[in-house]
Amino acid sequence: MKIVRAKKGQFIVIAALMLSIMIISISTVIYGTVTYFRHERWEEYVTILDSVKTGSSYMLEISLAKYSQAQNPTQNQTILRDNLNQWVRDVRKAYPGFGVDLSYSLATGIRSGYGVSPNYNMGLNYTWNRKVSYSAANATFDMNIASVGLTGYSFSTHTFLKMNIADALWYTTGNQVGVRLVIEAEGPTPVTNLQKGNFLVFRVDGADKAFTLYRYYDSRGHPVKSPTYPALNAYVFELRYSAGSRPTSVNVVVSVRDSRGIQVTGAYSIPASLIIDY
Amino acid sequence: MWKSKSVKGSRGQMRVVEAIMASLIVVSAVVFLYIFTATPSSSTYETGELEKIGHNVLHDIDEQRLLARYIYNSPPEWANLTAALMVSLPTDVYFNLTVYDLNGNAKNNVMVSYGSQQIFTTSKAVASVTYIVPGYKTIYDPRIVVLQLVRG
Repeated sequence: MKIVRAKKGQFIVIAALMLSIMIISISTVIYGTVTYFRHERWEEYVTILDSVKTGSSYMLEISLAKYSQAQNPTQNQTILRDNLNQWVRDVRKAYPGFGVDLSYSLATGIRSGYGVSPNYNMGLNYTWNRKVSYSAANATFDMNIASVGLTGYSFSTHTFLKMNIADALWYTTGNQVGVRLVIEAEGPTPVTNLQKGNFLVFRVDGADKAFTLYRYYDSRGHPVKSPTYPALNAYVFELRYSAGSRPTSVNVVVSVRDSRGIQVTGAYSIPASLIIDY
Repeated sequence: MWKSKSVKGSRGQMRVVEAIMASLIVVSAVVFLYIFTATPSSSTYETGELEKIGHNVLHDIDEQRLLARYIYNSPPEWANLTAALMVSLPTDVYFNLTVYDLNGNAKNNVMVSYGSQQIFTTSKAVASVTYIVPGYKTIYDPRIVVLQLVRG
């Protein structure tokens, strides 16, 4: 009887030992796997890459802002090239000892995107005074960091601002007309943070108009209206002004500048079919 | 009858002893793991961690288009920049930020910092992050942001 008991006891202890070995082995492997990234050395070049990439993107914004704010943007056609030449020199200066070498190429010709086809000249394009108007910049960068043996890191960046003069609403009560605009940035990202002061020009039939700005997301149409009022399913800026009577068409010019300083001017004669009784 | 009862009792006691021994072995394995999987701390490891945190915070503030605004606005919003960094960094991380132009001239006449400055000279692990900002709106005028970090 005694011998039998001893054998059973040994078995339980051996089983517990084996279980412990399994726990330790599995835990060690799992721990090593999930914490692998912690033992990887943090390389400073990652900071440089990120910083230069974000900075290059801002260079396009700064250049497009300057380009689009000019009376005649084509006079500033070389602004992006000039700024990027300076940026390339300054990046080298900002990270001495790393062997940072940044080069770029500017977009040329037609490139489609966001439902439009900008025809780039030296990385810049403005297509204004239309129902759908936009300003755009596009460039591709190549980066080498000699100190860490990084070569051929390539990234593209583009900046964009588009304004669509969608339609107009006629408010019978109060005799008002609301011109509705949909504005988008690259992404496409709806632009939602514009205030009245961002609308630099609002001209109806050749005359500047005082207006009140309304902002909302338009997701609900009104099919009973005549003509039917379809939902734009977009973030809408409505510029509402007083009118003596219901217009047959609304000849409108709108100029807007976003928080980045990029400007776009649209012009459109809104036809009767797009003036909706509300 | 008496002998049979005694054998049964002894067998039961042994089972308890065996169970306790087995439990002790398993518990000691878990304790062993706990002790040896504690995060190693060293000044190199700590500096790397702080650099990561610092870079991510600067990058986040920049992505929200706040960094350039704080630096280039007239007058610059140093107090807002300090507040943004304090909110974004862990509470036990002290910082000291300086903005330079490309010629190395400091542009912030106000200290952008948090925590005792003494720690920056006494601590073994001071991390430094360099970040370049090209300009703001239509102005191209690069600034180099140097953020120093230390754990308090």
